[in-house]
Amino acid sequence: MSDKPNLLQMFLSVLAACFGVQSSHNRERDFAAGHTWAWMLLGLVVMGLFVVFVIALVSWALSLAGA
Amino acid sequence: MKIIGWGLPALFGALGLIFPLSAAAEWQVNLGPGVTEISRAVYDLHMTIFWVCVAIGAVVFGVMLYSIVHHRKSRGAKAHNFHENTLVEIIWTVVPFVILVGMAVPATATLIKMYDQSEAELDIQVTGYQWKWRYQYLGEDIDFFSSLSTPREQISNDETKGEHYLLEVDNAMVIPAGKKVRLLLTANDVIHSWWVPDLAVKKDAIPGFINEAWTIAPEPGIYRGQCAELCGKDHGFMPIVVDVRSEEDFNQWLVEMKQAKAQASDAATKNWTLAELMAKGEEVYNRACAACHQPNGEGIPGAFPALKGSPMMVGDPAAHIDVVLNGKSGTAMQAFRDQLSAVELAAVITYERNAWGNTTGDLVSPAQINTLKQ
Ligand code: HEC
Ligand SMILES: [Cu+2]
Repeated sequence: MSDKPNLLQMFLSVLAACFGVQSSHNRERDFAAGHTWAWMLLGLVVMGLFVVFVIALVSWALSLAGA
Repeated sequence: MKIIGWGLPALFGALGLIFPLSAAAEWQVNLGPGVTEISRAVYDLHMTIFWVCVAIGAVVFGVMLYSIVHHRKSRGAKAHNFHENTLVEIIWTVVPFVILVGMAVPATATLIKMYDQSEAELDIQVTGYQWKWRYQYLGEDIDFFSSLSTPREQISNDETKGEHYLLEVDNAMVIPAGKKVRLLLTANDVIHSWWVPDLAVKKDAIPGFINEAWTIAPEPGIYRGQCAELCGKDHGFMPIVVDVRSEEDFNQWLVEMKQAKAQASDAATKNWTLAELMAKGEEVYNRACAACHQPNGEGIPGAFPALKGSPMMVGDPAAHIDVVLNGKSGTAMQAFRDQLSAVELAAVITYERNAWGNTTGDLVSPAQINTLKQ
């Protein structure tokens, strides 16, 4: 049971999926245990965070441009 | 090893033959910095991104060359067999991401400035035609066409080419120095593009659309450009000249333009003789019509009809006048009603009816055209 990923590890795995880089050790761990719906929910949360991040980046760039 | 021994000097030798050093000095390969604040910002961005690309190229090809040379093995060597290196993969994903965002931030700042059309002090509508530009100063009642003024003899290589070959026009767009000028760009027939590198303005002129651009030229001077959208046979013969003048000179020019306009309407009421109209007509024809119908009136079969011996040129003048004033919609034959003055229209129509062996003896008067133009 010690092989089941905890929340932080799941979060990092979702980020890695967004990036397209993951070690095969972690991937095997993630596929061995856990619920599908938990991954999907976390995926949605990370997408939401990404949108907020992009909005923040753009408004920062705009504030630099003095607009 | 042997190949590298003679290959490199041979390569440089060949390059030296193709690009002699003296010629390289005359070439301007890079983008110019231009004369406006925006054009300098564009130039700086271009150079920054260029050096970023050079650095990336050096690193990537450096690693590649190092690997090729340092890890070369003889035939029969057994390759390493490992699967992944997560750290390296993350680094080569994160680094480009950071570089891209780092380039996008200053680029956005410059783009936003380029799109800021507010607080212009002068609005000019710029319309692309096949193959000339029209400038209308909104609210100033100034409206004129700007066409190529390079003599035909230079184009056909019968004379030596001038300094501003194909970059000179009869009427330049005149603007005041240090003032924000907004350009409203559109086109009459096909897509053109108004491009003046020194001002860093390049904007498509599209029929049915109005695109906006602006510039503040800090110093008086002459800045030249070209149409940058392939628009037909004479695409390379519709240059742009921007004549930036001090505010005082600009105001003087406005006054002169208005006086010239008043004089033109006086000229229309004068009585013109056939000889006078023929002389004027030939000049107008060569400037405004000969690109298509050809100087000898014979046109280009299949594209532009011959006017020499055309039944219309020797038949009822009304139909002839109608085509020249209103054009033929859906063809390259434009409406010249607004492009030419009453005198010019009368002269060119009279000319066509009496040149190249057309011998009607008809005189079409400016007054006649004026009643039709109302
Ligand atoms: C951009 C090319 C172009 C230019 C410039 C141009 N024309 Fe034309 N013109 C045409 C074409 C194409 C036609 C044929 C239209 C059609 O299909 O009926 C035409 C037709 C005509 C006709 C009718 C000929 C006939 O026998 O039916 C007259 C007259 C004429 N042009 C006069 C002029 C005059 C005068 C000028 C200059 C002020 C001029 N054109 C400039 C392209 C041009
Ligand atoms: Cu054009």
